[in-house]
Order: sequence, then structure tokens, then C-alpha cells
Amino acid sequence: MKACHDAIALCESLGLGEVDPEHGPLVPAERGRELAAGLKALGYDYFVTCVATHLPAVEATDDEPGVPERFLVAYRVRRMPKGHFAFRFEVEQDCPSMVAFWSGADWHEREQYDLVGVRFEGHPDLRRIMMPEDWEGHPLRKDYAIETRHFPWR
Amino acid sequence: MSLLGAGILGFIAVNVAMLLAGWGVWYERKFAGRMQSRPGPTEVGPIGLLQPIADILKLMQKEDTVPRDADAGLFHLAPPLTVLVTLAVMAVTPFGPGLVVADLEVGLLFALAIGSVIVLPVWMAGWASNNKYALLGAMRSAAQGVAYEVPLLLAAAVPVIYAGSFRISDIVEAQAGYHWYVGWPPGPGLVAFCLFFLCSLAEANRIPFDIPEAESELVAGVSIEYSGMKFGLFYVAEYLHTIIASLLAALLFLGGWEGPGSDQAPWLGTVWLLAKTLGLFGFIFWARWTFMRYRSDQLMRLCWVVFVPTGLALVASSAVLVWLGVV
Amino acid sequence: MALARWSGMPALGDVPVQIDVDPYMDIDAYDAEGDLMVLNLGPQHPSTHGVFRVKLYLDGEVCIKAVPYLGYLHRGVEKLCEKLTYANVIPIVDKNDYVAPMTSEWGLVAGFEKLIGVEPTPRAKVMRTILGELQRCASHLLWIGTFTLDMGGAIGGGATVFMHTFREREAILDVFAELTGCRFHYNHFTVGGQRHDVPAGWGAMVKAVCDLLEARTEEYESYLTDNTVFKARTVGVGVIDRQLCLEHGLGGPIGRASGVDFDLRRDGDDYGAYGTVDWKVHTHTDGDCYARYLVRLNELRTSIAIVRQLIDGIPEGPICSLKQVKLPGAVKPKAKASMAYAAIETPRGELGTWVMANSERKLMPHPYRCKLRPPSLHAVSLLPYICPGNNVSDIVVTLGSLDPIMGEVDR
Repeated sequence: MKACHDAIALCESLGLGEVDPEHGPLVPAERGRELAAGLKALGYDYFVTCVATHLPAVEATDDEPGVPERFLVAYRVRRMPKGHFAFRFEVEQDCPSMVAFWSGADWHEREQYDLVGVRFEGHPDLRRIMMPEDWEGHPLRKDYAIETRHFPWR
Repeated sequence: MSLLGAGILGFIAVNVAMLLAGWGVWYERKFAGRMQSRPGPTEVGPIGLLQPIADILKLMQKEDTVPRDADAGLFHLAPPLTVLVTLAVMAVTPFGPGLVVADLEVGLLFALAIGSVIVLPVWMAGWASNNKYALLGAMRSAAQGVAYEVPLLLAAAVPVIYAGSFRISDIVEAQAGYHWYVGWPPGPGLVAFCLFFLCSLAEANRIPFDIPEAESELVAGVSIEYSGMKFGLFYVAEYLHTIIASLLAALLFLGGWEGPGSDQAPWLGTVWLLAKTLGLFGFIFWARWTFMRYRSDQLMRLCWVVFVPTGLALVASSAVLVWLGVV
Repeated sequence: MALARWSGMPALGDVPVQIDVDPYMDIDAYDAEGDLMVLNLGPQHPSTHGVFRVKLYLDGEVCIKAVPYLGYLHRGVEKLCEKLTYANVIPIVDKNDYVAPMTSEWGLVAGFEKLIGVEPTPRAKVMRTILGELQRCASHLLWIGTFTLDMGGAIGGGATVFMHTFREREAILDVFAELTGCRFHYNHFTVGGQRHDVPAGWGAMVKAVCDLLEARTEEYESYLTDNTVFKARTVGVGVIDRQLCLEHGLGGPIGRASGVDFDLRRDGDDYGAYGTVDWKVHTHTDGDCYARYLVRLNELRTSIAIVRQLIDGIPEGPICSLKQVKLPGAVKPKAKASMAYAAIETPRGELGTWVMANSERKLMPHPYRCKLRPPSLHAVSLLPYICPGNNVSDIVVTLGSLDPIMGEVDR
């Protein structure tokens, strides 16, 4: 990551704020596609992964203000032969889809939609992949108990 | 041969063939096991000899399922019909000098014609199962069966041309004196033997031509919906077909019942015929457990582009040899 | 987008089928009359390599569209990772890539070590490399067996090769059993090192296995590499183009067979002892099933060479950096990096673990989110792109050559 000067320069030119040396910039949702197009132009063709994490709402306390429910969506790409770059979104509901840039993102985004519940805007075929089509709820959310019953599987 | 004699011979022949098919399974599994560095069946009976009986008992006590939307009449009819049609070929094949159920003048033609009817029950099974895999298997089987008839007939024409007769006993007698067509006259006979053998493998759906029942793709192909003894009948029919193909090859090309001592003792001739048949049968196993299968379009291509021209060339060259008086 | 009809001479092998490959095409609009046959390959099928379903829309025998359905083997491993501690999760992950459990565990453990900031000991690093390479041999042997099984059937020549490769695999599993006590699913890796130390005589056992494998690999080469039928079934079949491999994140044998010169053992974060041994990465340019076979066969040989170079020089010392083999209750994440991603090269490609640490004091021993990035998922996601235009037979062979393990695809 530290050696990917061109990618870091791209982020700076797009004005995306601080670039963490390991996990890249925290990108606002509407700038995502610009960054992706720029990365592809630099040769970051290899799609590694897309991970969504559910960060539940934190109630306001006396010391700290409350934080609404968010999803952290982290992407990671590589360039041949050496070099990798990551970037993150923190979104409330919709995240821009990277399928138009890396076709391998398709199933990863479907899986994160299925298990975590983030909608990917611009995805050509957003439907459940692991769970049955008629499943209710998103299992990897923090408020989904591991023992939740769902007839006829449990 | 009198009707009673023919009946008894037929009965014995059918029984022997079915026993050979049954213990052919044992032999094949042992052979396959040894090729794969494992012993094969050893539990049931000494060296696993009672394994076919165990298999038959197991198959007989299984539930006979019929899929709901299957064409029940055709579904029930197909397996016994495959066995029947295969056994019918034995009506014209001699088992020794003078030992033939029906010594037809057009014996070979009858044998090959009846052998080609086996495509129909296989297709019936595939259609009647109401299953796409079965249908795919049936279509491939029909295509392959019909296509490989042509080089089979062309290759079988070579001994006919040499002997000048369709009667199988005549063909065998014309090879007397160790003038077996496989080696003499040198040339067309050997190629015709190989072609006949390979095309019989294709007709019997044996690897490398077993696309219709390609297990890894079609999950048992045509017999996918069959259970119990009906399933068993398909495999018995396959083994029978292989035995009968070996028998025909031995009669047409390997001198039939000729062997040391066969002219003095006719029963020894039958033993030699059996030995030749079993030798070819064993060769078929060896091929099965060694080769992978071709894709169906590659098979078709092999037939029409390689085998058929070869067959035509064989017919032409054997005719020339006869005309020159070599044979 | 038109489906071409027959032209030329079919008997001579001309089968021109021009289909614009669009995995998202609306099949109902394309096929308004319902002429296409829908064939379900799976979930119960001998060749789907696990429980997996592909819905094929076929025109005759040619596929127009392929829609894979996953999730039959989904066991909620990622949810379990959040409930269990860092140490407890390791035997669960064994069952992801159930054919190569050693590298499966290694992938997870690498991610945890990066998160926690722990380096394995030198002894552990060398042991891990040896075990990883032996596991690669075992996995590729199984692949050769099942690949020929797809072509030759369980009742044919394929079964012979299958039985022979399993015989060699047994030798490797015996080596693992000698070390860990289990033939399969070892629970051997732990954060910071290994759980079992090398027993006496293990080095000699490994060397004997290397000799055996080398001799037998020559045999497999003689069975398959110049085999007419094998070549007829695999050359030119299932061609995957390099850009598709890259976009789908495939760098393992599949990518290398298509010309992607990427191997995490050489190009990734420095892990294991690969920097200290002499070995090479095998690539090929054709991208067909035959190329993938050649790459895997050559990787088998390379793995044996690596093991031979390392087996005599395992450094002395502790096998685990952390004082206790059982992880302590509270594991403090590194101050700033509460997320980490680490990847290793498994026999299938890049296996990565993305893990986020829990910052709540009472929940610290459990990861907050652990995502396993399996290479087989990417391999299977190629199917909608490479199936159209091919026969059912070719699809089966191609799927076999991708070497998908559904345990890790579905987790």
C-alpha cells in the first residue's frame, strides 16, 4: 500500500481526504465511481474483495453524541504484478456498485447484500445468493441472533 | 437341427450367456480393482465369487419406482426388451460345428439387423423416463447407435466377401486350416477386425464410447429413473451385448471354433470359441478401465470421418483380393 | 444477439455457435417461444464438486445461459466467527476448503496475526511452508483424480487415475496424521505458530513421501499429458481470457494458466519461508483446461522441490510466539489498525481473511467481523461468462478444471 504512490496521488487529486496507509481513504458514496474509474485507468484490474460490516446505532450518552446505524463497506483491488489498494465507504443504506468496473464484484456485492443488507446501487442483478430467495432478515447484522428460527430450516 | 434340439440349444445358450454376463461383472470388478491397486470384491464368497449373486439379490429387493409423469408402458417395457433383443442375436451364431439354433442363409445380416434394433428400447427408456438427463442420453445413444452401424456393417462385409456367404457357419468353415481372416490374407482382415471390434464397443456403449451413459455428465443417462432389477437389466444387457459382440468377432475373424484338437473333438471347438470370446471380453474391460471418454461430437466425427471411409476402403480392397483370386 | 445456425460441415467438426456472452441477458425475452431446454446441473450430480446447482438454458446441447445457484453448503461460518474466539474459530475454517485444510487454516491465522500484531516464530514459519506445500500436493493430486473422473466416469479410465492419485494422497495424509494426530481437518495452526511440534522421524517420512510423489508424478504425466483422448477433451475447452481472470480476482492456477503472472507466495506480503528457497512460478498463456492441468502438474513438482529444500533445515526454537497455546482471554488489537486483511496462496488461489477487531472490552476475544475471501467463489463466478456456447460435456470438464470447493464458496 505504501508504495502505491500513483493511487495515493489519485486520491489526493480527487480530494478524498486522509488515506490510511493500510486501508485507504474513506470515500464519500457519491465519489466512489470516480475513484474506481481512476484506479482502473491506473491498472488496478484485479478485484480482491468487498466486505460490508454492520455498525449498529449507538445511543447518545452524556459524554458522546449518538451515532446512527451505518454500514462500513471495504473494497480491495490489486495491480499486476505488485501493488494493492483499498478503499472504504461508510453508508447509511446505499453504496455505489463496482460491478461496472470489476465484474468480479458482482457476487461479492450480492453476498454482502444478502448477509448484511447493504444495497448496491447500480448492481445489475441484486438478489440473494447464499440464503434462499424468500429469507427474511440479514443474518450478519448485529441484531440478528444466531439462533433465529426460520421454518422449515430450523 | 430339429426344433427340439434347437430349443434345447437355445435354452442352454441363453443360460450360459446370462451366467457369463453375471460373472463378467465379477471378473470386471476384480480386474478393475487390480488395475487400481486394490483387490476388488473379496467379501462375498471365496475371492468374491458370489458377488454377482449378492448384487442380483440386492437389486431384486429394491423398490421399483416409476416417475409420476413417466410413460408407464414404455417405461416397464424398455429394460426387458434390451435384454431380449440382445439375446435374439444368438439365434444365428453357431457355438460349435453344427451347433446353431437357426442356421439362416442370411445369418450375419440377421444378427447385425437384430443387434441394431437395440437402439429402440434404449431410446424408449430415455423418452419414457420423463427426465431431461435421460432424454439427452437417449438422443446421444440413438445418434451413436445409428451412426456406428455403418462402419460395423462395412467391416463385417469383409469376411462375407472373402467367404462368399452370409451364413456364419460358412464363414467359419472358410477360415479352416488356420486361415483366420484376422491375419490372412494380410491387410484388410486385421483392419476389419479392429474396426468391427471398435464399432461393437460403440454399439454396446462401452468406454471410450459410453457417452450415452456418461455418468459424470448424465448421471447414468438413460437408466437414471430406473431402480431395482430394471436397472440391473440395462447393465446385464450391456454385458450381454459385449459378449455377443466378442462372439461375433471371434466367429468372423478369429476362426470361430478352430483350435488345436477341434477337428477331432467338436466339443473342444466350443471350448476354443468360448476361450476366444472371453479373451476379447477381457480386452474390452482393459480398454474400459484405461480410457477416458470422447465428447459426443468428437465420437460422431470419428465415425463419419475416420471409420466410414476406412470401411469403404476395406470393402473395396477385399473385393479386389477376391477378384484376384488371392482368397 | 442471434444464435447462429449450422453452417459449414458439421461432420468435419464445424460447430459455429456465435452467442454474445451476456450473463445478465433476459432469457425470457430471448426465448419467447420457450424453445430452450432448462437443465439443472445439480445440486445432486456427480460432477458438480460439492453441492452446487447450475441452471443451464440449452439449445440442443449448446448452452445459451448459465445461472449458478449457491448457498447449499452455507453454514454461517462468518456469523460463527463473531460468536467464537479467535482460537476457537480455527477448526471451523478447516471445513471451508475441506480438501486443503492446512492452507485454509493458514489463511485465517495470517489475518488474525496481522490484526493482533503477532509474528510466527522462525520454526513455525518453516513448518507452515512445508505443510502448505505438502497440502498443495495433496490437493492437486485430488484434483487430477476428480478431473479425470469427470471425463472418464466413475466406471472407466478416470476412476483408475483417481484411485492412483488417492493412493499418493494417503501417503501425504499419513504424514499429517503423524504430526497432528488427524488425517483430515487438523486444527494445527494457531495465532502465532503451530500447536503440534515435529515428532521424531517425521523428516525422514516426509523425504520418503517426496521421493514417492516425484516418481508417481512422472507416472501421471505419462498417463495424461500426451493422451489423445485427454487432449481432445481439454485443449481449447473452457478458454478463460486474462482480463476476465483479473476482474474476477483469480490468480491461482486458473489465472496463471491464462497468463496472469501472480503468485502470493512471491508477490504478496512476505509470509512463510518462500523467500529462502529456490522455486519458480508456472504460467501458461492458453487459458484452456489443458493449460490449467499443466500448471497444476508443474506446481506439484515445484511443491515437492520446496519441501525437499526445507525439510532438513527446520530452525530450532518454540513453535508458537504466544506463551500459551490456548490464546489468552482478552486479545488486544493493535491500537490504530482495528481492521486487517491478509492473504495466502492456497492450491486454488488467493485465500484472504479480512477481520475487524472488537473494541468493546468484554467482547475482545471475539472478532467483530471476519470475512473469508475464498478463491473458489471467484472461480465459480466465472461460469456465467464461460459456459455459453459450450456443450454440456465441455461445461462439466470446465467446471472440473476450475477446481471449486463448495465448502469455501458457500462458507
